[in-house]
Amino acid sequence: MKPIRYACLGLIFFALGIGAASAQQAPYPDRTVKVLVPYNPGGATDIVARIVLDEMRKSLGQNFIVENKAAAYGIVAIEEVARAKPDGYMLMIGNISTNSITPVLHKNEMHINYEKEIVPISEIASISNFVLATGAFPANSLKEMIDYVKAHPGQVKYASVGVGSYPHIDMLMLMKATGMDMVHVPFAGGAGGDLMANLVNGDVQVGILNVASFGPIVRAGKLKAFAVASKMRQPDYPEVPTMTELGFPGIGSENWQGLFGPAGLPKDVIATLRKALQDALKTQHVKDVFASNSITAVTGGTQEQFIQFVRHEGERFTETIRDAHLVVE
Amino acid sequence: MLHSIAMGFGVALTPTNFLYCFIGAFLGTLVGVLPGIGPITTIAMLLPITFKLSPVASLIMLSGIYYGAHHAGSTTAIMLNMPGEPSSVVICLDGHPMARQGRAGPALCISAIGSFVAGCIGVIIIAFFAPPLAELGLKFGAPEYTAVVILALAAVSALTQRSLLTTLATAVFGILLGTVGTDVNSGVTRFDFGFPQLYENLNLVGLAVAFFAFAEIASRAGMAETRRILDKVKGLFPTRADLRDSWKAILRGTALGGAFGILPGTGPLISAYAAYTVEKRLAADPSRFGKGAIEGVAGPESANNAAALTHFIPMLTLGIPAGPAQALMIAALTIQGISPGPDMMDKHPELFWGVIASMWIGNMMLLVLNLPLIGIWIRLLRIPYRLMYPAILVFCCIGVYSVNNEVFDVALAAGFGFVGYVFSKLGCSPAPLIIGFILGPILEVNLRRALLLSGGDFSIFVTRPISLGFLLLAAAVLVFLSLPAFRRTQRLPGADLAVDEAAED
Repeated sequence: MKPIRYACLGLIFFALGIGAASAQQAPYPDRTVKVLVPYNPGGATDIVARIVLDEMRKSLGQNFIVENKAAAYGIVAIEEVARAKPDGYMLMIGNISTNSITPVLHKNEMHINYEKEIVPISEIASISNFVLATGAFPANSLKEMIDYVKAHPGQVKYASVGVGSYPHIDMLMLMKATGMDMVHVPFAGGAGGDLMANLVNGDVQVGILNVASFGPIVRAGKLKAFAVASKMRQPDYPEVPTMTELGFPGIGSENWQGLFGPAGLPKDVIATLRKALQDALKTQHVKDVFASNSITAVTGGTQEQFIQFVRHEGERFTETIRDAHLVVE
Repeated sequence: MLHSIAMGFGVALTPTNFLYCFIGAFLGTLVGVLPGIGPITTIAMLLPITFKLSPVASLIMLSGIYYGAHHAGSTTAIMLNMPGEPSSVVICLDGHPMARQGRAGPALCISAIGSFVAGCIGVIIIAFFAPPLAELGLKFGAPEYTAVVILALAAVSALTQRSLLTTLATAVFGILLGTVGTDVNSGVTRFDFGFPQLYENLNLVGLAVAFFAFAEIASRAGMAETRRILDKVKGLFPTRADLRDSWKAILRGTALGGAFGILPGTGPLISAYAAYTVEKRLAADPSRFGKGAIEGVAGPESANNAAALTHFIPMLTLGIPAGPAQALMIAALTIQGISPGPDMMDKHPELFWGVIASMWIGNMMLLVLNLPLIGIWIRLLRIPYRLMYPAILVFCCIGVYSVNNEVFDVALAAGFGFVGYVFSKLGCSPAPLIIGFILGPILEVNLRRALLLSGGDFSIFVTRPISLGFLLLAAAVLVFLSLPAFRRTQRLPGADLAVDEAAED
C-alpha cells in the first residue's frame, strides 16, 4: 500500500507545482473571469455586457461569464466586487444608476467605501434618453410642452423607474430649470411592462426615458419625442433635437455602461481588459447590434478620463438629490 | 389572414424550427415538472445560446419553454402536493386529493387535455384577435387593476377548505409578506432588517417552494412511509363522468385565462385562481371542492395555459412585456438586432406568424409528450420518499438560488419552510398565502398609483367604466357570499369528516 500512497502524494504535489508555476507565468486571463451585472437578465446593461463579453472571450481565449446580481440598486454586486481579490477574475459591468447614483443616494447603506474600493476601468457604451410624451399629449415640441405644463400646474404626471432613478432626477432638474410643476409617478420593475402601458394609454403623460426601449414605440406614433439628451442627434431619429440645441445643456442623462473592478488591480490586467474591450467594440457584430438598438459604443479615451467622468456624474446628481431630500438616512 | 397563417406554418415547419420547437416544449416540460426550477430561470440561462440561433428559432424555443412549463407544472402538484410552478398552486387543492383517492391518472389526463384545449384556443385568440385585444389591455390602468384585485380578494374565501377564518388569516399573512421591500412611491425600504437582499420583494419561487415543497417534505419526514396511494390506483384514464364534469370547466377556464393573460402583470397564476373560484361558485355542490373535484383541476389548469399563451399578445403586438419571461424574450430579440415594437407584425411577419404557428405545433407536441408520460409519473411514485425527497430538495434549492443568484434566498426559503411546516401541522392550506402575496402588492401599487393620478380623489374608481364594473362585481360576490343558502352548503355535516379522512392518507 505504502508505495501507492507515496505515488499519489507525489502526483498531487506535482499537480500543485504545475498549478503554482502556471499561475505565476501565464498572462492574464488564464481562467474564467466572472463579471457581475447588477440587473436581472434582459435589461439594457445585461445585453451590452453579454454582447461585449462574448467578443472579449473570443479575443482573450477565456470565458467571461455574466452573473446577474440584481439586489439593492447594485449594492450587493458592488460589495461583492469590492471584497474580491484584485486579480481581474471578478469584475462588474455597472451603469449610471448603480455606479454613479447608488454611491451618492445609498452611501449610508453600503458596508464599503465605494470611492476607495471600486475602480472604474473603461466606459463601454451609452444609451440616450428622450423627453417623451404620450401620443395624445397636446404639445408637439419641448417648448409647447413646457408652456402646457406651466398653464396646468400639478396636473401633468411624469413617469420614472423609481424614486432616485435617473429618469426621476433628470426630470427634477428640468422642472427646476423651467419652473414646471408635475406629479411624479414611479414604477417598479424597469422601463418595460407597466410603465410603457401607462405612458402609451395616457394615464401618465410624460417622461425622460431611454431611446433603446421607447424608440420603436415613438416610431409607431404612439409616443412623441420632443428632445434627446445626447451630444449629437440620434442617427435613427434625426428629426429630434438635442437638449443642448433647445437651450438646456447639462440636463438629461445618457445611460452609460462601464467596466469596474476592485481597487488594486494590476496595471497589466487593466491594460489587457481595456484593449480587449476596445477591440470588441470595433467588431462588426457589436456595431450591428448596437446600431439596431440605438446603443452608442464609447471608444477612445483613457482610464483616467473615465474615472473623472464617473466622479463628475455622481457630483452632477448630488445637488438635486440633496434638494429633493432623497437620501435615506 | 389565411395566407399569413400558412406562411407561419411554413416557417414553423422547417426542420430547424421544428426541432427548436420540440427542444423548447421538452425543456419546458422538464422544468415544469421540477419544483423550484421554472421557465424564467431556464430562459435566462439559455439566453446566451440564442445568440447563435436565428431570431425565429430562438423565439420559438423560448416561448416553448414558457408554455411547456405551464403545461407540466400541475404534474407534481397532483402527485406530490408540490406545485412545479407557482401558477399550479391552486391545482394542489383538488388535484392532490384526487391522487390520494387513487385518481391521479384521470387528474393528470384531464389536466393534459385541458391544457391542450386551452393552448389551441389560446393560439387561435392570438392569431385572430391579438391587435384589438392588446388595445383593450391598454385600457387597464391603475384604477382598473385595483378594481380587479379587489374582486379577486373578495373571492378569496373560495380557497377555504375547513375554516373561513384560517383562509382569511393566511391570505392576510401573504399580503403582509408582500409588503417586504422597497416602497415604490417613497423609495423607503420596509422590513429589510438591514439585509440588502430584502430591498427587492421576496421572491415568489422561494415562497412557493418553502410553503409547498419544503413544508410537505418536512411533514412527510415525520411519518412512516406509506404506499397507499399506489394500492388505490384506479385506472389511468378519465371516466365518461369525469369528461362530462370537466369539459365546461375547461372552456370556462380557457375563457378566463385568455382574458387575464392579456393584462400585463397578472397572468397565469391569477387566472388559475380566478378559474378555481368560478368553478367552485358554479358547482351544484361546492363542498366537493378541496376533496378531489375534477372541475377544480380542469378549470384552473386550462386557465393557466390559456393565460400563458395570451400573455404573449402585448409583446407580439406592442413590444410591451407582460411578465419577466416576455421581457427576456424581448432581450433575446434585441440581441439579434430586432427591437420588438408595435411594428413587429408588419416588419417581421415571418417572426410573428412563425411563432404563433409554432405555438400550435408545440401544444400538439406537449399533448403527445404528456399523455404517455402519465403512466411513468405514476410509477415514479414507487421511488421511496427517502430517495425522492432529497433529490427534490436539491432541485428546489437550485431553483430558488438561480432566481437572483443569492444563497440568502435559499436560507430564507428554508426559514419559511419551517413556517410552512407549522402551517401544515395546524392544517392551514398555504394557497391563500401565495394568492395574498401576489395580489397584495398589485393592489397596493395600483391603489396608490390611481390616487396619484387622480390627485387623491377616490371617485376615479367609479368614474372609469371598467373599474366601476369590476367593483360592482366584487360587491355582488360579497353579497352572494353572505347569503344564508350559500353558507349552509359550506357547513354540510360530514364534509369535515371527509376532509379528515383524505388528510390521513
